[in-house]
Amino acid sequence: MALKGIDIFKLTPKTNCKECGNPTCMAFAMKVAQGAVQIDACPHMSDEAKAQLSEATAPPMKAVKVGAGECEHSLGGETVLFRHDKTFVSRNLFAVNVCQGCVDDKLPEIEKIDYERIGERMYVEALNLEFTDKESYLGLVEKTKGKGRLLILDCKDVDAAKAALDLCKDEKPILNGATPENFKEMVDVAKAAGVVLGVSAPDLDALYDTVAAIEGLGYKELILDVTGGSIKDAYANAIQVRRAALKGQDRTFGYPSIVNVAKVAPDDTAMQTALASMFVIKYGSVIVMDSMTYAQALPLYGLRQNIYTDPQKPMKVEPGIYPLNGADENSVCATTVDFALTYFVVSGELERSGVPVNFLISDAGGYSVLTAWAAGKFSAGTISKFMKEYDIENKIKSRTLIIPGKAAVLKGELEEKLPGWTIVVAPNDATGLVKFMKDFK
Amino acid sequence: MAFKRTPQKFSASINEVVIGTGDKAVTLGGANTFPLYTFDGEAKNKVAIGVEITDEGFDASVPGIAEYYAGCEGIGAIAKKASEMPGADFVVLSLEGADPNGANKSVEDCVAIAKEVADAIDCPLAVVGCKNVEKDTQLFEKVAEALAGKNVLFVSAREEDYKGIVAAAVMAYKQKISAESAVDINLAKQLNVLISQMGISPENYVMNVGSAAAGYGYEYVASTLDRVRAAALEQNDAMLQMPIITPVASEAWAVKEAVVSEEDFPEWGPREERGVEMEVSTAASVIAGGADAVILRHPKSVDTIARLIAALM
Amino acid sequence: MGKFVIIGERIHCISPVIKKAMEEMDPGPILQRAKEQLDAGATYLDVNIGPAEKNGEELMKWAVQTIQAEFDNVPLCLDTANRKAIEAGISVYNRAKGKPIVNSADAGDRIENIDLAAANDAIVIALCSKAGVPSDNDERMMYCQEMLERGMELGMDPTEDMWFDPLFLVIKGMQDKQMDVLAFIQQLSDMGFKSTGGLSNVSNMTPKDIRPILDSTTVAMAMYCGLTSAIVNPCDRRLVETIKSADIIKNNALYADSFLEI
Repeated sequence: MALKGIDIFKLTPKTNCKECGNPTCMAFAMKVAQGAVQIDACPHMSDEAKAQLSEATAPPMKAVKVGAGECEHSLGGETVLFRHDKTFVSRNLFAVNVCQGCVDDKLPEIEKIDYERIGERMYVEALNLEFTDKESYLGLVEKTKGKGRLLILDCKDVDAAKAALDLCKDEKPILNGATPENFKEMVDVAKAAGVVLGVSAPDLDALYDTVAAIEGLGYKELILDVTGGSIKDAYANAIQVRRAALKGQDRTFGYPSIVNVAKVAPDDTAMQTALASMFVIKYGSVIVMDSMTYAQALPLYGLRQNIYTDPQKPMKVEPGIYPLNGADENSVCATTVDFALTYFVVSGELERSGVPVNFLISDAGGYSVLTAWAAGKFSAGTISKFMKEYDIENKIKSRTLIIPGKAAVLKGELEEKLPGWTIVVAPNDATGLVKFMKDFK
Repeated sequence: MAFKRTPQKFSASINEVVIGTGDKAVTLGGANTFPLYTFDGEAKNKVAIGVEITDEGFDASVPGIAEYYAGCEGIGAIAKKASEMPGADFVVLSLEGADPNGANKSVEDCVAIAKEVADAIDCPLAVVGCKNVEKDTQLFEKVAEALAGKNVLFVSAREEDYKGIVAAAVMAYKQKISAESAVDINLAKQLNVLISQMGISPENYVMNVGSAAAGYGYEYVASTLDRVRAAALEQNDAMLQMPIITPVASEAWAVKEAVVSEEDFPEWGPREERGVEMEVSTAASVIAGGADAVILRHPKSVDTIARLIAALM
Repeated sequence: MGKFVIIGERIHCISPVIKKAMEEMDPGPILQRAKEQLDAGATYLDVNIGPAEKNGEELMKWAVQTIQAEFDNVPLCLDTANRKAIEAGISVYNRAKGKPIVNSADAGDRIENIDLAAANDAIVIALCSKAGVPSDNDERMMYCQEMLERGMELGMDPTEDMWFDPLFLVIKGMQDKQMDVLAFIQQLSDMGFKSTGGLSNVSNMTPKDIRPILDSTTVAMAMYCGLTSAIVNPCDRRLVETIKSADIIKNNALYADSFLEI
């Protein structure tokens, strides 16, 4: 984050002594802001001002690492509030609450959610361990560690937290336990174990003071619990904390956040999904829920993948043969580009038609049909090359290939390059596909 | 040192557009903060929820929906039941059967349906077209005429057909319209300019800046919403200060996750649950982006989103 | 960044029509000029009542109320050497569409206008000059700093409510100084400051048909350097079209095919 001249100017002695070689302190401040002069060129800058300055040039939001090995994740490090300004860098994690009484039932359910979508593994990355009493808590840690998930110790009891960390600190869990009352002890515990410390407080002012006090103790591996006491609090806190850090340059709030939607919407699955969606967009780093069924995961992970995608890089699906509706070697073929959005829309419509079809996806650079065609990445040449590389003629007996309406111009050329094949042109718009496929059949 | 709050205050605000008449009329828009940033300023009107039915009634393949409308005979009874759904603010009649490439219902039939619906309810009504340019223009003109005085919202006028629709619905019959642009922010603004150049004042139209289900290119919707709201408030761009209405149900219930059966995808669980979660997730997302009204279908989604809005106000 | 702020300069007592209207407190000609400028794209309107030593307070109050009542509380820039008149104007000013602007303070004997702005939560135009034309940009920067310190001491937000005026210079006579002014605007912008000024001064004394070309070229170059506002004649269509286009290129306003018409 580049500092504005005005911020530096505020730290100068404002005496215009010219000893730095500049006519005024303002001119000096400006050159420092541009990087043309080092701050040390001013002989009268106080140490305090210099420290403030180095603080001010630090990134507005800290990136922290949690977990170990394959469970390691980076949280925070964001620089913008809106994804159109620049890409969001650290996608949020989803965590599910577990307790000693429910862990045996819940773990198998959690483990069921594990699938791939556009090259990304979708699963519950973290478990939030709810505290009841020390003894059962240690049992809970034993049951959940080594399961390939980041552990979050949701525990404000210093003694229990310490004992729990003795069991699992190698996995680098998050210790979400510091409060305005216990933070001194909790900092010692977290420091000793080398884990990220979660901080919570009754309101934003208390949270702010507590974080400042923890920073004063020299610990900055933090995550801020913004949950609060209600849905309204949680939404307001998440936004205000992130905004203060990124827009207001207030580094005390420059940490990733954790929000437990189960606490503000208990026993309300749909509400938890709604809230989790809002926090994917604004501004949860770890989102804790009571459950993660497929019905919840499908929209939530899809949403996260969308929001955290790099606007400069189109999402692509892997080239290959995708049999839909139980297609076999006798089913017709259809093709389109590998742009993920196109793939999902078209495959969705094809599935709705219920007609078995072998959906062939070739490498078209992740562009939409027209763009890929114009760029020569979706042509008679690329399609026929794909057909050969994937040995389609031996794998599939059907000799019918349906091509997108927007690429109708390829028909003639494809018929030349793929002798024996019938090329059929689909409607221009995917919404016409269901009727087209049914009629076609 | 205490936390220094710096509320974002804007001298701009979103226009207010009233739909319907009487006690149950609904005011859309009015916000002068980012979406539900009540810590920056008081929220003015709540985000409104429209409950969608079609000219065919309701989607009987979804048990929860079928159950809700059970016993309703005829489109009028269905509409009345939709208006009574807990959390509903207005009823949305989607005339998808008018599509010449589909059921191709006649304009007269559609007008009759719309009239029956309008007469059965006392809350505001929005009418969604079939997205065929010629048909929508004829349809909206005749429906607007038949429902004169009801202050109906017509969804949507697009670049290809806005002239005829605005002339018929707004100028001739004093109804409201929504200008539709598919996640194209420059077109969204341009359409608003063109409509305003026809002499239509801001309290007469809203906009639909595009919609997509979670996971289906939703990033374009998210960024369009963010940028529209930023331009409206931060840049005081009067041509983007229209309230936003977002059709959610038609997107959410059309994607694979909400369509395929449990038999085909046993590990995914019941289809209904998947549809509801998709609808709820998408609706919450567009509300976080600034939608002033959402269109939903399932009673559980309507209930959940209504409680979400209430909790955030 | 927000859109470029066009401050319409045409309600000025130097115009015989306006002078007469102000003497007689006749709203007609003033409202007409206000309307022309707003229709042409002005955001703020400058209201220059001249020295107005005698009835300045009454006149400014009347002008502010008359114009704001007619045009939905259009924001105004209060322009007179009579400090009491500015305060009187602010006392009846409606802030719904934006803070009042005090036009103007400098680093010389008008520095107290900063105090006035600070005390009344107004924006101040801070002319980087003391007496006459600054010899170079170091001198401009020195004045800028003096005013900045004063504003900050009084609790003003210098990046929002102090708009620095680099002092645009006339080409016919000071052609070799034009790039200096642009460089200074760049410096202000680099520091995060807003800027404005009497931009059409550059084309003073040039032929009438040349002025729009020089003014619009100047504004385009100055906007590239970071100029955020100017006090100009919004009825100069070429100039306003240039400003609107530059706003599009700078991404200050969202493009739509009809952007020149709005």
